[in-house]
Amino acid sequence: MIPLRRAGPVAVLVILAIAPFLTANPFYQRIAALVVLAAISASAWNVIGGYAGQISFGHSIYFGIGAYASLLLFGRFGLPPIAGAPLGIIASFVVSLIIGPPTFRLRGHYFSMGTFAIAALAEILIVNWKFAGGAIGLMGPAMPRSLADLLFRNSLPYYAIFLAVLALLLALTHLMQRSRMGFYLRAIGAGERAAESLGVPVQRYKLYALLISGAFTALAGSLYAVMIGFVDPESGFGILISVNMVVIAALGGVGTLFGPLVGAIILVPLQETTNALLGGSGTGAAYVAYGLIIMLIARFSPGGLAELWPLINRHGRRRAA
Amino acid sequence: MSISRRGVLALPALAVLPALSEHVMAAETVSIGYIEALTGNAGAAGQSIKQGAELAVEIINTPHPDLAPLTLAKNAGLPNLGGATVALTWADNQGSPAVAASDALRLITQDHVVAMCGAYQSSCTLTSSAVAERYGIPYVAGESVAANLTGRGYKWFFRTTPYGPDFARLYLDFLADVAKSGRATGKIAVVHENTDYGTSVADSMVSTAAARGIKIAQRIAYNANGTDVSPQVLQLKEAQPDVVIFISYTSDSILYIKTFHTLGYRPPIVIGDDSGFSDPSFIKTVGPIAQGALNRSAFVPGKPDSITYKINALFKKRTGRDLDDTTARSMQGLFVLCDAINRAGSTKPEAIREALVKTDLPPGELMIGYEGVKFNAQGQNILAYSLMIQLQGESYVPVWPANQASAKLELPFKGWT
Repeated sequence: MIPLRRAGPVAVLVILAIAPFLTANPFYQRIAALVVLAAISASAWNVIGGYAGQISFGHSIYFGIGAYASLLLFGRFGLPPIAGAPLGIIASFVVSLIIGPPTFRLRGHYFSMGTFAIAALAEILIVNWKFAGGAIGLMGPAMPRSLADLLFRNSLPYYAIFLAVLALLLALTHLMQRSRMGFYLRAIGAGERAAESLGVPVQRYKLYALLISGAFTALAGSLYAVMIGFVDPESGFGILISVNMVVIAALGGVGTLFGPLVGAIILVPLQETTNALLGGSGTGAAYVAYGLIIMLIARFSPGGLAELWPLINRHGRRRAA
Repeated sequence: MSISRRGVLALPALAVLPALSEHVMAAETVSIGYIEALTGNAGAAGQSIKQGAELAVEIINTPHPDLAPLTLAKNAGLPNLGGATVALTWADNQGSPAVAASDALRLITQDHVVAMCGAYQSSCTLTSSAVAERYGIPYVAGESVAANLTGRGYKWFFRTTPYGPDFARLYLDFLADVAKSGRATGKIAVVHENTDYGTSVADSMVSTAAARGIKIAQRIAYNANGTDVSPQVLQLKEAQPDVVIFISYTSDSILYIKTFHTLGYRPPIVIGDDSGFSDPSFIKTVGPIAQGALNRSAFVPGKPDSITYKINALFKKRTGRDLDDTTARSMQGLFVLCDAINRAGSTKPEAIREALVKTDLPPGELMIGYEGVKFNAQGQNILAYSLMIQLQGESYVPVWPANQASAKLELPFKGWT
């Protein structure tokens, strides 16, 4: 028998793997794919924002880099968009090395503001960069030229690809969590000065966390571009992209392995269904419902839904015993 | 762990919600999906389009013999489908290309629409029409103007509105005509805001002019959110162009006119590319100092007995506002689509597509100043066109081309007195 604490993650992945096949409805299948995509970027953000406690509001810069790398390679050289993913990851490393060291000297809110400013700057740069489509943006292949273009009418192939990436990211995060790095990051998150005084190489480990976090966020951006087939400065580098990652992670629980995934499972269908049900009225009621639910969760479970796990888990174990 | 499992299980549960709201369509109803920017930055435009489209549906579904020969106005419903009525299912794109694509998928697979209209922002039209293409559902874009929408090799995409090159052609034709009267029009300055709208129209302007051997003398890009445009105006003042064409949003258009006034500079010809110059607040705030400003519009109410005048009156009765160019272009797109469905005599997507391909509407059957509606192989309406209108007093009046003008063109730009 697998021990219970191992069985949990396995069960989650098994359920995730079969969930979209339970419905033949293309719209729900698309929502499922979008859930996993959102979970990738929120889980990536979680590495630096959750474990290390560095609340970045600038992660859209990585998302945008990934999306633009994909569609630039297509637009300029005719390569399939997915070929841009490695390029986006390499670019994300370069960006991390450039923006990491100076922003890491800022603490708390100042770090958040610093990253926010950098992402806003990046958006303006892209708007004025003709080669990258400027304000008009870039589009992917209009029609699939070959299978490599990854253009499908059905969302299930996207779902499978996204899920593989998410599983890889979560496995890495899980390993990291139990390694020295995980302890260092949590120590940094709990109190940077204290961690430093205990000999934790704070700056270096924050940079490692940013490199991992940025790379996976860039990958999420590339996958987004492959699926949606279009990116412009707002949908790639817009502030809402960053905010969404933070909100999803915070809702599920920052600094926990499955928190961002839980957040995505709740928030993305909520966004889609409120828009489906109420968007057509054009009254903005979709936003009201969406905001209200976030407020309720914040009110009754401010640490995110992950805060409720131990309670439920204890209950479950008692029943099992 | 069990909470996350519940989360997963909640997914199908949440997904059931929209299914409950799905209503069974009566057999005699033709369901058309309409994606618009109903909220967000462009929310006001999307809401106006919604009001316009609802008026168009009323005109189609109930008899309006006074509006004949406008397509489908005379009878109730679609005659070739036994008087079937048209019903619109709305979706809000929230200004996001990804949401627009979700909207399209939902309208097609949940609401089973037979055709679609939309989606205001060109970026949203691009992604939602890609979904329609994969599902083989006809898509008519009545208001999006980005050049890259047509030319994607799509079979199911049709655009009724004029776009960048058409506007450029309009301005250049107009200026060539003005030049015949001996006025200099050779030195053209294009001043545009630097996001997709301004950039794409300015690009079309430059390339269309180049094709005619005309070089745009000056091109100034600026940020529409700025609070001061005097550097740009001083640049113009120094270069002294014959014509200044603004591709601007509202607050910046107002700022330019105010700065002209402050600096005492009157370019001989001022053209505004719709948008900001057409905003009601533009006339209210700077109308008295923008006399003689030119603008484009495909919709002009015209004389009291005309179709356009009557439609404008109906719209005003509903909303208290005059019908604007964007709303009118969107309504025209819907009329063209419904006309095609009627000619197809069927709600089968392939039949509708074939009817759209064969569309050939004369100007008399339209509610807008196009030269007709006829699509090329890319799905672009090759007869799309606009009129030049001029601010004279408190409103714009059509001044060019001569056969549609109701007032005399007054040059040079007077501004203020």
